[in-house]
Order: sequence, then structure tokens, then C-alpha cells
Amino acid sequence: MHNEATQKGVFQAEVLSNQQIRRCYYRLNMKFDARGSRLFQNVLPGQFLEMDLSAISLPDETQIPENLKDKASRQVMLRRPFSFSDVIITPTADGPCVKVEILYCVLGPATVRMMSLKKGDTINILGPLGNGFSIPDHLTHALLIAGGMGSPPILHLASHLKHHNPNVEVVSFIGARNIEDLPFTVRIGNFKGLVLEEFELIRVPSHIATDDGSAGFDGFVTDCMRHWLEDNKIDPKASAVFACGPEPMLAGTAKLAKDYDMPCQVSMERMMACGIGLCQSCAVETKKDDNHTEYQLCCKNGPVFDAEKVNFHAE
Amino acid sequence: MDKTTNLQIDFAGLTLSGPVMTASGTCGYADELSEFMDMSNLGALITKSISIEPRPGNPTPRIVETNGGMLNAIGLANMGLERFLEEKIPVLEQLDTKILVNLAGKSIDEYVAVADRLAREEAIDGFELNISCPNVKKGGITFGTDPVLIGEITAAVKAVCQNKPLMVKLTPTVTDISVTAQAAVDAGADALSLINTFTAMVIDVEKRKPVLANRTGGLSGPAVKPIAVYLVNKVYNEVAKDAGIPILGMGGIQTVTDALEFIIAGATTVAVGTSTFVYPDTAEKITLGLAEYCKNKGISDLRELIGSLR
Ligand SMILES: Cc1cc2nc3c(=O)[nH]c(=O)nc-3n(C[C@H](O)[C@H](O)[C@H](O)COP(=O)(O)OP(=O)(O)OC[C@H]3O[C@@H](n4cnc5c(N)ncnc54)[C@H](O)[C@@H]3O)c2cc1C
Ligand SMILES: Cc1cc2nc3c(=O)[nH]c(=O)nc-3n(C[C@H](O)[C@H](O)[C@H](O)COP(=O)(O)O)c2cc1C
Ligand code: FES
Repeated sequence: MHNEATQKGVFQAEVLSNQQIRRCYYRLNMKFDARGSRLFQNVLPGQFLEMDLSAISLPDETQIPENLKDKASRQVMLRRPFSFSDVIITPTADGPCVKVEILYCVLGPATVRMMSLKKGDTINILGPLGNGFSIPDHLTHALLIAGGMGSPPILHLASHLKHHNPNVEVVSFIGARNIEDLPFTVRIGNFKGLVLEEFELIRVPSHIATDDGSAGFDGFVTDCMRHWLEDNKIDPKASAVFACGPEPMLAGTAKLAKDYDMPCQVSMERMMACGIGLCQSCAVETKKDDNHTEYQLCCKNGPVFDAEKVNFHAE
Repeated sequence: MDKTTNLQIDFAGLTLSGPVMTASGTCGYADELSEFMDMSNLGALITKSISIEPRPGNPTPRIVETNGGMLNAIGLANMGLERFLEEKIPVLEQLDTKILVNLAGKSIDEYVAVADRLAREEAIDGFELNISCPNVKKGGITFGTDPVLIGEITAAVKAVCQNKPLMVKLTPTVTDISVTAQAAVDAGADALSLINTFTAMVIDVEKRKPVLANRTGGLSGPAVKPIAVYLVNKVYNEVAKDAGIPILGMGGIQTVTDALEFIIAGATTVAVGTSTFVYPDTAEKITLGLAEYCKNKGISDLRELIGSLR
């Protein structure tokens, strides 16, 4: 009944490295076992996995961010969802070997525990979960927009497009509150202004926006993209917007895309207890028709939704 | 499965392949778990609550984690009877396990309507009455805390179940659970299931607001297990044993030992809820573990253990 392409499962991953990249951002690289590698061989950007972090110990007291010292000692029971910033699939004689990169932000008890992961540790994983971004036919321009911790799947999508759709022109817009909240390496670009190294490496132009103006465009990332759209005439029918980030930013992006008559896909986040459609904790309110709304499951029907269908709850 | 131990068990007239079920609201509607386990190792699957009309459920956040557990306020979100019949019955027919439907409603008439319709479906083996729902006709008090209402609703639903067993699911948020258990038994319940979740709250200290959009939610998970074991034992001793009514025990079950505690306390069968969220095959693992335990201890029939608390 379930074909390999959509199958999910529980398996082990081995930690290859776990590095701090910014004040509260870390990059975790893992290698999946044979089962996990088989399950992930067709994984798409925007899909996610869930990690069991219940048995990972807290890092040394001195390493725990001051504002999390109290919170960090809370126990972790439920798995935690994460998307990927990169997936590398290498064919071997024994089948595919999958390596995955996760960018994570240290926010609470589970992510504080992740700080202590080191090379050789094993983690139990459930995945791949949800539906990823879908690339429409006849696409010529892909506009990728991310806010803060929404950036990882956008980087994955950028490299996926470069690899599988080389004729599509990809442009990225990455926003954060300030330079410290950008989960990437900022450097001076070849022409002028600041760019993100991770996007440069795959030859995708990156436009930075910070709410406080500490790097790139001074203001919201959606305004940064609006300016770009004013300056660059692209065919809306052959373009698409792909967004991931906090809900108010997604709502703003959806509106902008609508103003320009471009299709838009958004990746939503919800608190998740199971990740596999068992519990209904992750409801996203969607438009059923003109007069009715219905809840869909972020973990199963999403996390990527058609922006036109979502009723955003911007706080 | 190891066949030297007999895990097969009679439960309210049903012959189950084993004593472990998955609890309502934690295993989806139908085949959500079938890619994680061999469903024939599951004694029964208890569906999400089904009401006559679809229910959108509560706004999010609907869950929050607590030490050793979680709170949920899903709001009985469900697809409603019609879509369940159309979309899920064909899937349930294919599953190699018993199917119990959890019933929800806002009035006795609504419960009766759902049970009456589903009792005619061959794919459905029995019912679990979720009486932790607010009764709109009686000003929103829950059916499950009032012994008179429990009697009325149990009798009314039992009358339309045809030959299928009706289990009544008890809420622990009452002064004396034996009173509510007795009311269900007197009105014709074929089995009792306990416990449902405990009403609870988590506060966001910065905002000074409850974390859940619904303000309160039901506590489940390992944190509730010792209370659940106690309540199962109490209901077994004070009501079920003499009445000859079997108990489905649940609340925080995560391991084989947890399941054994419930069985020794008096449960004939057990259900896994919250633990399935972390390891989707927990119910199957516990089933296989019980077989292993019995083999190692020289127990030829798990039934020897039921209510064996010294
Ligand atoms: C599909 C999906 C993909 C995600 N991808 C990433 C990723 O690539 N990198 C990353 O750092 N984080 C990602 N997250 C968020 C991540 O799961 C949470 O930050 C993590 O669960 C926090 O756990 P904790 O115990 O450390 O903190 P907690 O104390 O549980 O939470 C800390 C804060 O994070 C918020 N939070 C917790 N869980 C979620 C959630 N599921 N969705 C939204 N907010 C949440 C809480 O409201 C709270 O404010 C993703 C979430 C989802 C749903
Ligand atoms: C997310 C969630 C949803 C639930 N939904 C229902 C439901 O619809 N009907 C019901 O009778 N019980 C429901 N329950 C209660 C469980 O069936 C079970 O009684 C309870 O969670 C205790 O078991 P546990 O600790 O193993 O989870 C739900 C529990 C959870 C965690
Ligand atoms: S997280 Fe459980 S249904 Fe989505």
C-alpha cells in the first residue's frame, strides 16, 4: 500500500559533527543508517524529521545560555521536528548513503541538549515527514524568502533547484531581527553589499534584510523583496515564491505574491506531538471554499501549503 | 509472535489476538500506524472520537509538553460520521485487527445516532463511549461526572449497539470513580475503560496566560501512570470483579512492566496512548514483550495475571 517514495520509518543516525555557527545557532551533520538512507533517498526540500532527544544529557552548566539555565532542566519526552538545510545522497554498492545537515536554534530544553551532541553519538529519527515544496512546470524564476529559523529548508530548496532545475533563475531573500540572528555566514559580495556565503557557494544571489539594519536591507524581508520586484520585471506566470519563517512574515509574503499575481508556497510550523497524523495537535486553518474554513494537519497535509489556502494567524 | 504463550484474550465477547490496544485520539482513524507495525499484533485499534457532525476542534496551540507528560486540548476535532463512513470504513475493513469506535456527542441523541449507524457496519467490532464531553442540553456539564447521566447515556447507546460490545470510558476527574463505574455497569456496560486524561493547566509566566488556546487541557503520559494503576485497582476491587466486567487499563503506559502493573491491578487489556507519539510501534513492542515475559516466567496464559495483586 505504501510505496518506498512516501514511506516513513524509525531509524538511527550517527552524528558526524556539531558546530556552533552563531551565538545560538548550531550546525548538526548526521549520517543515516541503511534503513534511514533508503527512506530518505527521494526526500524533498520542506519535508522534515523528528528526533528523540529524551536521553541526551545537558551540556556543561557554563555552556547553557543564561536565559535558558532555568528552563533547560525540564524533561524532554516528545520528539522535536527539524527540517534540513542540506541532504547529500551518495550511491554505494550497498544502496544509497544519506547525510543530512540541520541548522538549529537553541531555544529550550531539547535544543539545549542538542548542544552536547558530538561525533559518534547516535540519535533516533522518525522520517521523512510531511510534503515538501513542489516545483511547478515551466518555471523560470524562483523567489525564495526566509525569516530567521525558517532559513534551513530554503537553503536546501536553493541547492535542489540548482541541481534539478538548472534553467530556473533562483533568487533568495533572507531576513532576521539582527545580524546575530542570521544562521549563515555573512560576507562582502563580489560587487557590492553583503551576501550569505552558503548561498554564494551554490551561486544563488542572496539579499539580506535585518529589522534593525545591522546587515543588508534595513527593514522587513518582505519589503526587501517588494523593492526587488519593483526593480526587476519578471513574468508572474512563470515565477513562484517559496517561503518559510514566522507566521506574520508568511502572511506578508502571501500578500506580496498576490499583489504580483504569483503563486506562493509557504512552510508552516506548529507544535507537534507525533508528526505522523495521529494526534491532530498541529492544525492549520485553511479555506475550504468562500464561506468555510477547515483545519488541515501541518505534519501530514503540510508543512508546505499553497499560501492562498491558509488563514494566517499573525500575532 | 511466539505461540508458546497464549496472549489471545476474550474481552467483552470479542476474541482479541493480544491484550494491547492503541488509545483513542492517539492512533488516528485507521491505517496511520500500519506502516510502523504488524497490525495483527494489536488487540484492537480505538479510533479518534467520532461525532455526528464534523468538529473543527480548538485553535492552536493544542498541546504542551510537561515533565513526563503532555496536555492536549484537541477539542474532539473529527471528520464526522459521514466522512468516516465514506473514507475510513473501507480502510478499516482491510486492517487485520479489531476496531472499536470511540463515540462523542453533545447530547444523548447524538451519541445514539452515531452508534446506531455504525453498529450496522461489519468492519466495526465494538464501541467505547467517551463521556468526558460537555452536555449542551444540561448546561455544558460533562456526562462523565454525573452518575445519573452516565446511566441514561449508557442504556440509550447500549440499546442500539446490536450485538456489539459497549465499553464506557471513565474520567478520573471525579471524587469517587467507583460511583461512576457502578453507574455504567448497572446501565449495561460490557466493559469499562480507564483512564481518560486529567484536566490541567500550564501557564506562560511571561505572558501570565495559559499556554493552550483552550486554557486547559488533558494531562496524559508517564506522569499519570501511578494514579491510573491505583484507579484501575480500585474499580476492579469495588465494582468490576464482582460484576464480572472486564477493564481496559490505560494511562502513561510505555513499557512491558507498565502494562503488567495494569494487568496485575485488574485490567484484562491495556491501551497505549501518548507513548505511541514517540515510538509509533510501542503497542506492538509491548505485546511481543508480554509474550517473552510469560515464556520466561513459565506463565502459559496471561489471564493468570489479571487482578493477581497480593
Ligand atoms: C516542520 C518544522 C520544521 C522545523 N525546522 C527547524 C529547523 O530547521 N531548525 C530549528 O532550529 N527549528 C526548527 N523547528 C522548530 C523546532 O522544532 C523547535 O525549536 C524545537 O522543538 C524547540 O524545542 P525545545 O525543547 O528546545 O524548546 P521548547 O521549550 O519546546 O520551545 C521553545 C520555543 O520554541 C517554540 N516551538 C517549540 N516547538 C515548536 C514548533 N514545533 N514549531 C514552532 N515553534 C516551536 C515554542 O513555542 C517556544 O517559544 C521546526 C519546527 C517544525 C514544526
Ligand atoms: C492528543 C490526545 C488526544 C486524545 N483524544 C481522545 C479522544 O478523542 N477520545 C478519548 O476518549 N480519549 C482521547 N484521549 C485520551 C487517551 O485515549 C487516553 O485515555 C489518555 O491519553 C491516557 O493514556 P496515555 O497516558 O497512554 O496517553 C486523547 C489523548 C491525547 C494525548
Ligand atoms: S503532530 Fe500529530 S497530527 Fe500532526
